[in-house]
Amino acid sequence: MSSKRILMGNEAIAFGAMKAGVQIASGYPGTPSNEVMETIASHAKEYGIYAEWATNEKVALETAVGAAYSGANAIVTMKQVGLNVASDPLMSLSYIGVKGSLVILVSDDPGPHSSQTEQDTRVFGHFANIPVLDPSTPQEAYDMTLLAFELSHEMETPVILRTTTRVSHGCADVVIGDIFPVPRDIEGFVKDTRWAIFPKLTAQRHPLLEDLQLRLSDRFSEYFGDNSFNSVSKGSSRIGIAASGVSYLYAMEAIRALSGVFPVFKTATVYPFPEKAALEFLKGITDLIVVEELDPYMEEQFLQLAGKHHLNVNIYGKKNGCFPVSGEYDVDVVIDGINSSLEKGNTDIPGLSHSLPAINLKEVPSLPIRAPTLCAGCMHRTVFYAFKKAAGKLRSQKDIGSVFSGDIGCYTLGNARPLNMVDTCLCMGAGISIAAGLSHTQEYSSNGKAKQVAFIGDSTFFHSGIAAVVSAVYNNADITIAVLDNRTTAMTGHQPHPGIGITAVGSPAKIIDIAEVLKSCGVGLVRTIGADSLEGCIDAATEAMQFEGPSAVVFREKCIAISKGAGQYIVDEDKCTGCKLCISQLGCPAIFSITSGLPVIQDTCSGCGLCAQTCPSAAIILKEVLQ
Amino acid sequence: MKFDILIAGVGGQGVVLASRLLATAAMDAGFHVATAETIGMAQREGSVTSHVRIGDDVYGSLIPQGTADLIIGLEPAEAARNLRYLRKGGSVVVNGHAILPSTQGRGSEEYNPDRLIGFLNDNCPNIISADFTRLAKDAGTYKAANVAMIAAAAGAGLLPFSQEYLWDVLEKMIPEKYRDVNRSVFDMAIESISYTKGMGMESAASNETR
Repeated sequence: MSSKRILMGNEAIAFGAMKAGVQIASGYPGTPSNEVMETIASHAKEYGIYAEWATNEKVALETAVGAAYSGANAIVTMKQVGLNVASDPLMSLSYIGVKGSLVILVSDDPGPHSSQTEQDTRVFGHFANIPVLDPSTPQEAYDMTLLAFELSHEMETPVILRTTTRVSHGCADVVIGDIFPVPRDIEGFVKDTRWAIFPKLTAQRHPLLEDLQLRLSDRFSEYFGDNSFNSVSKGSSRIGIAASGVSYLYAMEAIRALSGVFPVFKTATVYPFPEKAALEFLKGITDLIVVEELDPYMEEQFLQLAGKHHLNVNIYGKKNGCFPVSGEYDVDVVIDGINSSLEKGNTDIPGLSHSLPAINLKEVPSLPIRAPTLCAGCMHRTVFYAFKKAAGKLRSQKDIGSVFSGDIGCYTLGNARPLNMVDTCLCMGAGISIAAGLSHTQEYSSNGKAKQVAFIGDSTFFHSGIAAVVSAVYNNADITIAVLDNRTTAMTGHQPHPGIGITAVGSPAKIIDIAEVLKSCGVGLVRTIGADSLEGCIDAATEAMQFEGPSAVVFREKCIAISKGAGQYIVDEDKCTGCKLCISQLGCPAIFSITSGLPVIQDTCSGCGLCAQTCPSAAIILKEVLQ
Repeated sequence: MKFDILIAGVGGQGVVLASRLLATAAMDAGFHVATAETIGMAQREGSVTSHVRIGDDVYGSLIPQGTADLIIGLEPAEAARNLRYLRKGGSVVVNGHAILPSTQGRGSEEYNPDRLIGFLNDNCPNIISADFTRLAKDAGTYKAANVAMIAAAAGAGLLPFSQEYLWDVLEKMIPEKYRDVNRSVFDMAIESISYTKGMGMESAASNETR
């Protein structure tokens, strides 16, 4: 039996995995991949699945690898930059292979909307010799998840299921099959030399790995004709279009007015590239327009193929400037790209036209810039402001400057005006190590002394902060670590982590106390305080920054997005002098003013009281007090 | 058939819930749907949009410019920011309740919501503009402005399916303790629209906007 439901692409993948009989699921949160694990975890008890959030993507992958070695069906989930963290086990795993099945869900983020990079996992799969499936819709994501588990088991290789934001975070009506409790029939781990990588084993396995790539390429070519993931449609012209993922849909919508003109090559099995089918397609055309987001991966495959077989085909894509090399595509981007290709190709096919907006956009009045910002009542704002104040004291009293290294999470938003508290940000866990690196340059600097401060969130601390702390202590880096412990993995949608005593499926777990970890690593000064008192935070920040050698403060307060506020503040207009420090210093989204008026606090105020503590005229008071 | 709806707002206003509601109701009414949602960093008070595409002639989930049949703007500036999507003859439902960013962009002109609402009313022939945040607040919670706006769109006959499909979905989607307040928001919005419909598309409530 099957049923039709509205599912987000990520949910569809989770249902696909459960339909395929996944037994073990691990992952680390990262937008846009989160809902795959969240959906599996929420059904874990019902279907008897083991689901967990691991401390990072490398750990998650290795956990899933162990499960797959024993014959289990396993999935591991992460975002594209998470794959970088997991790349060490990944690169070795392709040689070793798996026994049960292992699907690696990796979500790419063209744009990017919520990421540090615009990397392309299709290329990563190519680099790692691991097959990559690239669905274009939530339905295809569901169907290809089933295929991924089958392929992984049959070929004894991990399989990457790669999505992009628009597949992961789009909803559609999806037909899914009934799901049953998972079988408990795996063989278990069988000792064998194949599981222990060693230079000799690598040398033996490498030719087999390369042979597998050829077999998979052939298999994927065979899919043309007998499954809907890969297809070739005929056209009246000799100008072909090749596309994969969501770009295929944009291309089809773009050429709708000229339907039947362009032959179209669509593949969802992008690596190993289905060369035989692609070659067949190339032989029937004179020009090829490649429509793909992120890297010119397919374009390079086609160029290579045309070169290898001396084919006289013009290929248009990113490499000759017809399509943008970065950013997300949509129908309008693809129309421009196809038109640019048609023009370059000097064809007699008319260009495609855009639909004209109803309103002359030049007449729209200027709009406010609305950058993402920390929530009203977010504890991070108090901590950032406290460090700003403490740094001011350090500068005025001791002529010591401060550098603030940030990290990945909600608190990256501390970079926005007026806080301006993120001087560096690179990747998960980098803040502490970068601060250490900066501190070691102190004696080479001719520009005076600067204290190095690293901000790191609770989940990021467990992800990759601890190794950096150990190294900083070992090498006596003069840094202050500010742990922004809001008791959740906030930015990605509030997943639990090892510090809060609850697992992915809601079971109780041992709490790993961050302050105790810092102490056991040998950090000289470790304080834990709440973030409700600005003065208390300034004192703690000052003490830590004036400490010589590694010091740390754990600021602990519940994330305001998932907790009840403490009331609402209001501006007492009789007392307010209109200095607007509450606005110019804090940037809280609950407070605004128009140029001529006094500050106004909106309904979104959650009562953290930071503005009240900042106001020099005591003009911000709790609503109940005024009434 | 194809019907494209673009929902625009500020992170935290419930744009994602609004698009799920529309998508599920559309599926229940027998249509194919595809949505694209903003999830992630922009949800922290940034500009967010959801694209909701309904019908058999839908390809990808992103609406091309100039083809949206309906723009639902939970905030005036966010409605205006997405006007490029509006097709000729398309409709706009806009919430007059402005959310002023705490920090005005450097060098950008000060945000003047009244001017924007005026522009929208003057330039969009099929527009319903009202303070849906106030309507929702009067009915129990300002947070349900999203529900009010979708109910208003349904009440004005701007959706390709009837309001019953919407309520059926809402009832299942919303936790029991919030159901009554959402029901009254839903009903009040539809009531306010049937009142204004007699006066043409432009809402009597539009002068209430701040």
